[in-house]
Amino acid sequence: METVAVIFGGRSAEHDVSIVTALASVIRPLELSQRYNVEAIYIAKDGSWYWDEKLKDITLFTSGKIDEFLQKTQPVSVQLDGGMKLIKTSGLAARKQTQKVDIVFPAMHGTYGEDGALMGLLDMAGIPYVGCGVSAAAIAMDKVLTKQIARVNDIATSNFLAFLKEDIASTLEGTAKDIEKQLTYPLFVKPAHLGSSIGISRVTNKDELVNALELAIYYDDKLIVEEAVANLIEVTLPIIGNDQPKPALLERPMTKAEDFFDFDTKYMQGGKKGKASKGAQGYSQLPAELPKPLYAQAEALALRVYKAVGCTGTARVDMLIDEKEKTVYLNEINPLPGDLYAHNWNRAGVSNLDLVLGLIGLAKERYATRESLATTFETNYLQQF
Amino acid sequence: MIKNFLSLYLPSYPRVVVYMLQASEYEQGPYLKWYWRTRNYTEVMNRRSLHLTRAAKLLLTLLRLGIALHIIACGVLIYNGIRNDSVGVVGIGMGMCLLYPVLWAHLILLPLVVGRHGIAKPAQKRVIQEAEQIFASHPAVKIAVLGSYGKTTMKELLATVLSEGKKVSYTPANKNVSISHAKFARSLHGDEEIVLLEYGEGVPGDIARFAQNTHPSHAVITGIAPVHLDTYKTLDAAVEDLFSIHNYVPEDHLFVNTESEFVKPKIHVQFKSFGEQGALGWKVRDVQISLQGTEFSLVKAKRVIKLKSGLIGRHQVGFLAFVAAFALDLGLTKDQVQAGIAKTKPFEHRMQPYSLAGAWIIDDTYNGNIEGIRAGTRLLQELDARRKMYVTPGLVEQGPETERVHIEMGSLIANAKPDVVVLMQNSVTDYIEKGLQQAGYKGEIRKEPNPLAFYSSLSHFVAHGDLVVMQNDWTDNYA
Repeated sequence: METVAVIFGGRSAEHDVSIVTALASVIRPLELSQRYNVEAIYIAKDGSWYWDEKLKDITLFTSGKIDEFLQKTQPVSVQLDGGMKLIKTSGLAARKQTQKVDIVFPAMHGTYGEDGALMGLLDMAGIPYVGCGVSAAAIAMDKVLTKQIARVNDIATSNFLAFLKEDIASTLEGTAKDIEKQLTYPLFVKPAHLGSSIGISRVTNKDELVNALELAIYYDDKLIVEEAVANLIEVTLPIIGNDQPKPALLERPMTKAEDFFDFDTKYMQGGKKGKASKGAQGYSQLPAELPKPLYAQAEALALRVYKAVGCTGTARVDMLIDEKEKTVYLNEINPLPGDLYAHNWNRAGVSNLDLVLGLIGLAKERYATRESLATTFETNYLQQF
Repeated sequence: MIKNFLSLYLPSYPRVVVYMLQASEYEQGPYLKWYWRTRNYTEVMNRRSLHLTRAAKLLLTLLRLGIALHIIACGVLIYNGIRNDSVGVVGIGMGMCLLYPVLWAHLILLPLVVGRHGIAKPAQKRVIQEAEQIFASHPAVKIAVLGSYGKTTMKELLATVLSEGKKVSYTPANKNVSISHAKFARSLHGDEEIVLLEYGEGVPGDIARFAQNTHPSHAVITGIAPVHLDTYKTLDAAVEDLFSIHNYVPEDHLFVNTESEFVKPKIHVQFKSFGEQGALGWKVRDVQISLQGTEFSLVKAKRVIKLKSGLIGRHQVGFLAFVAAFALDLGLTKDQVQAGIAKTKPFEHRMQPYSLAGAWIIDDTYNGNIEGIRAGTRLLQELDARRKMYVTPGLVEQGPETERVHIEMGSLIANAKPDVVVLMQNSVTDYIEKGLQQAGYKGEIRKEPNPLAFYSSLSHFVAHGDLVVMQNDWTDNYA
């Protein structure tokens, strides 16, 4: 039986979301499938890696006993030369445990996990992994790059400006003035690389804009300022596949423009501030009730974006629709949607089990394609040196 | 191997033994069979835990006390052996010490046997004799409900519909043996118009015994299927026992569901039949089945009665038609019958639909016979769904018919063409699989070693638009 290592946690603001994704949406269905031996690899907030059967138990995290557990547990050593091997010593007799890993299922959101960093490591190891590759993940996690690529591919985005922290940190007032000259309020200010709506502000005047810039550069070294879309309908579409991506259902979060999706709305209050109670699944209209042509337009745009950025495995494309103008704009791409957006796939007729098994199948397919490419060739360069 | 052996000596062992007794309803035979086929005593209590009734507490205390005294005695023996340099005595002491779990698992049956035959049975006999007098003098229409399957359903349907126009009393839940009937008799007030009595046959002669005690005026045989073959040995013996009721009720007061092929050998017996086509002279027309319920019309000459029930499945039509026709015969009006049938809804774990993660689950885990499988697979075939799944561990108590019944079961499942068949891994899995293969099943077969894990994680297996029919469940004493 092949071994799948599910990596979760990580040095990211979305550490906790990652734990839930891994334990509830990946490990449990994978184990139920009986097709794989599943190993849980947890990356603590300090960056240490742990491998233990007990890490599959969500109560270890929800009870707050994880810190105590980590103090008693030896971190795992990971060998990455020509594959992946987990090595740890444990117990009174310092028993050495090893485990060869055949496939990796990254269940990490945000920095060092969803942004391509982990994927680079796995590519170096030459091991199949689930989800987007290095470049697609890196682009998708950079809101500026994503929009630039979209524009090159004639995909509509709202007007935006991008800034580096080092360029504006000392001149926030001046930057705000420049922005006001080029863009029209209301505006959104976002850290370029963070997901789960962390550090995002909606602003309608200069004072708010300055504060928002300050907040954004607190979280990230790059930020994007973009115009809000009028007559807004916000929709999102999870997609799965490599060369032939397949969409799930267009989903419409039921929030007002001023209640944009911040972290609290998404994860802490069940999606709808103060009302719903079902995590990130209790807030949306699924499938989105849009006129058929507009639905089709949004679906087509999402698939174009997915291919343009080079996504593989899965990703979720967020879009903004001007209902009056019937125009669909790309908002951003999420290369590893929280909980894999299993609720949406479920509504589309894909069970949790089929979803994770399908993603592993796609990982193997992409790996086989990559392996068939030549990456070295014989030269007489050294002899001539 | 070592773990299995050590499980005999864990502190939880006495509790497990008493649980096994309780789950076997304190019957020595099933308990001993279960005890001897168990390998690891830590893996016994999966579905339920020990319910600390007075009897269970008493047995647990006796068992613990017995084991404690046994260990002390062994200790004394070993001590004396060491003091007297007697290797033999030490060896006997150690041997006895090792034997205590097995020995006490059997010794604990002694107080049960003494209690049952010395105290309980004579007391029950008195209660049953008193009850016989109550039933004999009661003026109500007393309807015996018996059969290999569908007894509780039929009884509940009759109670629901007849209550629309009559004062009805009926034996509770599936309390269907002599002592339950006797206890029920004590609750009667004497002014009931209808008394419903469920007969739960278990061994040859049961039906005659129940009838002698309860004096039924009418009887309904709900259906015949190979069940309890561990005790009846042959289906003929079971059929004979069920049909012995015709000695106790008038011919025109005996109603038999003739849909079952196993009724055929008894076709010479005079009775009134009912089934999917009609009942008591009424014809069934325009049947419509959905997850919301079952609709049909009863037609006799120019009379048409439209009926709508919350029960699901074509197999329910015969039961509903009989209950409606019988209620009319007993003097209920058309409106009362329609209202009564409209109130009928699925009973817990009997073709009970519920929604899970956007899928429809039909929970028929209470089923335990091949006719139920026939009905469940037919329903699966009949309803539309994006993907169909059939889940079962197979049937228990099929005796020498086990292989044949499960091969037939596999064939029935295959004919329903589910996309996925989930089999709870056990001793009959191979037979079901053989039946599936013989019938040319092409879908996915999935074997689950841990039924509880599967049931509790079902939401991970299904998606919106799926239809899952789950039939039968094996309790700990069968697993």
